[in-house]
Amino acid sequence: MKTGRLISRSSFSLAFYLVVFVASGIGTLIRAADTYTPGEPVKGNFKNFAQGFLEKHCYECHDDLTAEADLNLLELESVDETNAAVWKSVWAQVSLQEMPPKDETQPEVIERLRFSDWIVGELQRVMKKRGGFTAHLDPKKANFLDHNLLFGELPEGIELVPTSSPARIWRITPQEHITRLNELINTEPEFDPAKPGLRAHGDVVPTNHGGELKLYFGTDRITSWVGGTVAYATAVKSVPVVLSSGRKHGLENYPHFYSVNSAEATQILGKAEDILQYMAYGPLSIVGMPEQITDDPKTYDKVKPPGDLRGLPTAITYSTKVVRPLTPVYELMKEPGFSDERLREAVDYVFEALTFRPPRREESDDYVEIVKNSIDTVGKEDGVFMGLSSIFLDRDALFRPELAMEGKPDEHGRVMLQDWELGLAVNHALRYIKPDEELRKSIVEGRMRTREDVEREVGRMLSDDSIRKPRILRFFRDFFDHDLGGYICKDTRALGETGVSNRGVAHYRAMFDATASTDRLIELVLEKDKDVLKELLTTEQVVVNNTDKTYFGRRLTEEEEKAAVERKKEEDAAIIAQVKAELKTVETDLVEVEGNLKSKDLEPKAKKALENRKRRLEADRKRLERERKSKRSDINVRVAEVELDGPPIYARVGRRSFGRGSMTPERKLATVPEGERLGILTHPAWLVSHSDAMDNHAIHRGIWIRERLLGGGIPDVPITVDAQLPDEPQNTLRERMRVTREKYCWTCHEKMDPLGLPFEMYNHAGLFRTTEKGEPVDTSGEIIDSGDPGLDGPVANAIEMIEKLAESERVEQVFVRHAFRFWMGRNETLHDAPVLQAAHKAYRDGGGSMKALITSLVTSDAFLYRKVNRGEVTAN
Amino acid sequence: MNNLDRRTALRRLAMGAGAAFGSAAFPGLTGAAAKSTSAAGRVASGGPKRVIFFLQNQGFDPKTCIPAGMKNSGSLAKAVLPEPIKALEPFKEKLHIINGLHGLHTSPSHSAFFGALGGYRGSDGVPPSASTIDYELSKVLPETLLPHLCIGMDSMENMVAKPTVANLSARGAGKPIFMHSNPNHLYQMLYGGISSGDIRSQHEAKSGMFDRIEQMAAAEGKSLPTADKLRFHEFVQGFNDMNGLRERLGAVSDHLEKFAPEVDEGYSQPEFETDWHDRLLDLGISALKSGTTSVLTIGSGRGEIFGAWKGLGVEEQGHNLGHMEQPDNPIWVKIRQYNSRMLVKLMEELESVPEGSGTMMDNTLIVYTSNNADRQHTSGATWPVMLLGNCNGVFKSGQFTQLDGKRPINALYSTLLNTVGVNCDRFNMSDKMAAKFDNGSGPLREILA
Repeated sequence: MKTGRLISRSSFSLAFYLVVFVASGIGTLIRAADTYTPGEPVKGNFKNFAQGFLEKHCYECHDDLTAEADLNLLELESVDETNAAVWKSVWAQVSLQEMPPKDETQPEVIERLRFSDWIVGELQRVMKKRGGFTAHLDPKKANFLDHNLLFGELPEGIELVPTSSPARIWRITPQEHITRLNELINTEPEFDPAKPGLRAHGDVVPTNHGGELKLYFGTDRITSWVGGTVAYATAVKSVPVVLSSGRKHGLENYPHFYSVNSAEATQILGKAEDILQYMAYGPLSIVGMPEQITDDPKTYDKVKPPGDLRGLPTAITYSTKVVRPLTPVYELMKEPGFSDERLREAVDYVFEALTFRPPRREESDDYVEIVKNSIDTVGKEDGVFMGLSSIFLDRDALFRPELAMEGKPDEHGRVMLQDWELGLAVNHALRYIKPDEELRKSIVEGRMRTREDVEREVGRMLSDDSIRKPRILRFFRDFFDHDLGGYICKDTRALGETGVSNRGVAHYRAMFDATASTDRLIELVLEKDKDVLKELLTTEQVVVNNTDKTYFGRRLTEEEEKAAVERKKEEDAAIIAQVKAELKTVETDLVEVEGNLKSKDLEPKAKKALENRKRRLEADRKRLERERKSKRSDINVRVAEVELDGPPIYARVGRRSFGRGSMTPERKLATVPEGERLGILTHPAWLVSHSDAMDNHAIHRGIWIRERLLGGGIPDVPITVDAQLPDEPQNTLRERMRVTREKYCWTCHEKMDPLGLPFEMYNHAGLFRTTEKGEPVDTSGEIIDSGDPGLDGPVANAIEMIEKLAESERVEQVFVRHAFRFWMGRNETLHDAPVLQAAHKAYRDGGGSMKALITSLVTSDAFLYRKVNRGEVTAN
Repeated sequence: MNNLDRRTALRRLAMGAGAAFGSAAFPGLTGAAAKSTSAAGRVASGGPKRVIFFLQNQGFDPKTCIPAGMKNSGSLAKAVLPEPIKALEPFKEKLHIINGLHGLHTSPSHSAFFGALGGYRGSDGVPPSASTIDYELSKVLPETLLPHLCIGMDSMENMVAKPTVANLSARGAGKPIFMHSNPNHLYQMLYGGISSGDIRSQHEAKSGMFDRIEQMAAAEGKSLPTADKLRFHEFVQGFNDMNGLRERLGAVSDHLEKFAPEVDEGYSQPEFETDWHDRLLDLGISALKSGTTSVLTIGSGRGEIFGAWKGLGVEEQGHNLGHMEQPDNPIWVKIRQYNSRMLVKLMEELESVPEGSGTMMDNTLIVYTSNNADRQHTSGATWPVMLLGNCNGVFKSGQFTQLDGKRPINALYSTLLNTVGVNCDRFNMSDKMAAKFDNGSGPLREILA
């Protein structure tokens, strides 16, 4: 322990007041009269600033005598790398208004904010060379900013400045990257208004049936293949995603999250050559024999290699019809030699396809030179592909720049994005592919420079269904986290006990299908664009496929299951008896026919008839023998399946990627069983996404409600906490969660557990249940300290809780906060309060319109302006 | 730093990194340059300095490796190895046959893919959910120029059409590591700087391009705000790493020349896929012997359920190979014998290089198993493994161990990490999963001396 730390609180108090009185009494007065601008550096050090706050609000419980929660803050001194974790914890507790405790005197709002800002500033300073401090930028911490300050009246003394976002580069996501590359080699179908759910040009390349994101080559030309799904998957050329991202709950892509490392860059380069060769030669670049390109697969049968071709490129034939985009790369390679003009066309085409903007002349020159140098060294064939592959690693092919390099900063240091940067920012707000012709024209003609320009283009794109806008759906995935179910590895036995199939990958496929179904449901709600959030939380509609009759079903009680087993036994016995009887008849007939056939006096016609009859009987016998072994009642002994019928509809799954194993788009728009389900949070896709291998995850579900709907924050789990529930298979999850009720844990867990436990009305595969471990399931819960007194109070189950939440204005505002974060790529600050309020107003005035909300956000200063530091760039 | 300065620095770095292997591995490097790196210092005394993973697809039936009549754990000294692995008979004292680990949680039927080396559920088309053991080891073993090299052997058609695929190794969740399957490309990467002809031209063209795009990226980074600069630096550093690898390899080209395999017709005009398999193995061995890499992952069948071995006289190929019973099956005897010969070659080559007071093989561990546990359609209830090498007595060897099927392959992987100084009770397995799938904790005592 450092010298000087062990002073008692009382002696410290005296010392502190003396120092304040003598050295900074006047300063304190000035500071109190001062206005406070959030986020600006807070003057002062530990001694003359922070210690005063601790003394006033913290030492009472956290000194050397009391040390509540084993924390003695008298030992805490200036922020340094060794005590950073403690200071981070203090920051979280104070920001979240957890401390001081509710029954103690509270700091003034500005006092609290200033103290919080000071800690952040200090942590940034001391951690600069140790990985930095970025917790306050993490979306998980965005709710640390008091909701009431953003949407209520600010106390006097807080001065807001016009908002903006930092100048920055923003790495594209793996899905954006794959979708971008897909544009080079595959022609996607245009939007079909008659079948709006089918995937079309501009939609993302979706994950496949195994949840893997891959770029497939030429599947639209495949006319035949040998083998089943697995063989097909191996034989087809595909490239898995190369850019990485942490697949975690919540917003997945803030600009500061990711870069591109050397392993990724190497792989991008390797795959670039494959893509370029396909652009030039199509499937010819991936087949083993040219005869595989044929419209009549039988012609290939005559020459194909002998033996088992399953899993080989030679197992596939491709049609002769060219369906890939024919680009300048194709033009460049279709004839021997090359001209400078053709070369530049190819360079410029590839550059714009990958960066979404035309190259500047010097950029074009650079790449032309690279390609020429490569050609000089290794010849045209290899040189072109090698040289052009370098464009795949251009900064702007992997990062989207929002640097606002042009334009004079206003008095707040802000510059509005313009031209290509603004056009691409607007495009990126909605789309994954390059700007459509109209937007491109606006950019090129200088009509992307004002707020009105943005409003015009956004309005145009939002009102046109044929312009696909997958980023909106991505927001809802990030918000709801309903797309993780297929990635939750389930214990086979525990999964079987839920009532769903635990054979092979059936459950995981069902979950990826469920994700696509939920996506489609969200799109349907967005089409109506009315009370979007409320509708998503309370809709009784559901998009389903055949397996959902189980997943949306009800798990039978133990008694019901026993009865069903008995009933099944009886039905099975009846079926077997019937099959045996039929078999006996067939065998008797067969003996008779065989006897008749032995007769020497048979006319040829009669003999032929008998032989035909014999064949038919033999076929029947075989069938019945099979049925004797396998035909059983289809009674589901574990689940009361639910009838989910309705008009046909499509879900936006990828096109064929796995032969017969591909996901299929056919779905139905049905209605959920009344009283058992309500809205997305009660759908298996969401429930399983918030479960674990063995059981429900009531804590995660509770955190989700707390953060995404109530706008509350949860501090990090203290490292001293062993966050484990007891392993008691005989007890319910609720019983095992008793450990979180210990005083030390409950401070945080009361914010989550009572919000997650109402979902115990479903098991961990998402099936509705009325009993658990043979007893009526306890689905009670409570909304505690939500920030909206009207919401607080006990709830009987998830449905009651959801109904309450869906009516809350606060919940709506919190949804707007999340939309802000997604579209701005950063956490909100107090300076964004006017933007958030305007966005919420637009949403409300529009009748709960997502379009109005998005338009409001992307025409706001936070979206349009970038804070620049010209001096910094010059110095660089 | 200008290019010249950087190259000089890189040369020095390369010299230093190479020296981590001692003067035996890099005979040209002696004296002050031959000091241990910090990574080398982390390796527990006697633990492996390099590890080779060899995964044959379609399963590894225990009957094809456990000596006839051996039901219980015991010494192999008097046992006769089964026909498929007979080639290992002279190396019996280095061999440890382990049966009874399980991979029930990895869903290994039709391959566990990344789950085989990751110890988690894997399946066709499922991205890795965490890093794999080979990658984790490459991070902590003595630093090398290319810490982890993966090679994949498949049918000729697949290796030509898809020269790199990623099915077995991963740097983390959603971060697959690609296997090299075209020996020409791999040769160019490792030895482009000391080659001639087409390989040399390709190498030079690529080097020129890499240098140029690194310059361009660096220039683009100059105009960035400070916060983004750090992140963009990682991107530029990526080029630096790529170019650096070339340059580092170039810097020790005199040294590498001694290990580079001879480029013969098997590279450019292979008759069978096994011609390329052999060359890939040669390149892998050369990377180990030259000290270029410390972890080599070999995927025979590339982690899938296909593959071909026509060069061995096996006319059948692909999926059906997995539907056959392996014991006493002439086809599988041939494939396993081929694997065994490769293992022998690995050991003999590594024994030929002095290291410390012994040879490289004394500090090497080979882990031979399958990405499909014991068979193609398997539950993973038993997952046979052969370890070769005892790393100066750290691992038990010369014996057969029958486990009770209650510990997962993850336990083997955590054991490996412990032997290189990483304290690790479990590898990629939460306590909750362990409650179901692991009745123990920490290293497998049965395999450590």
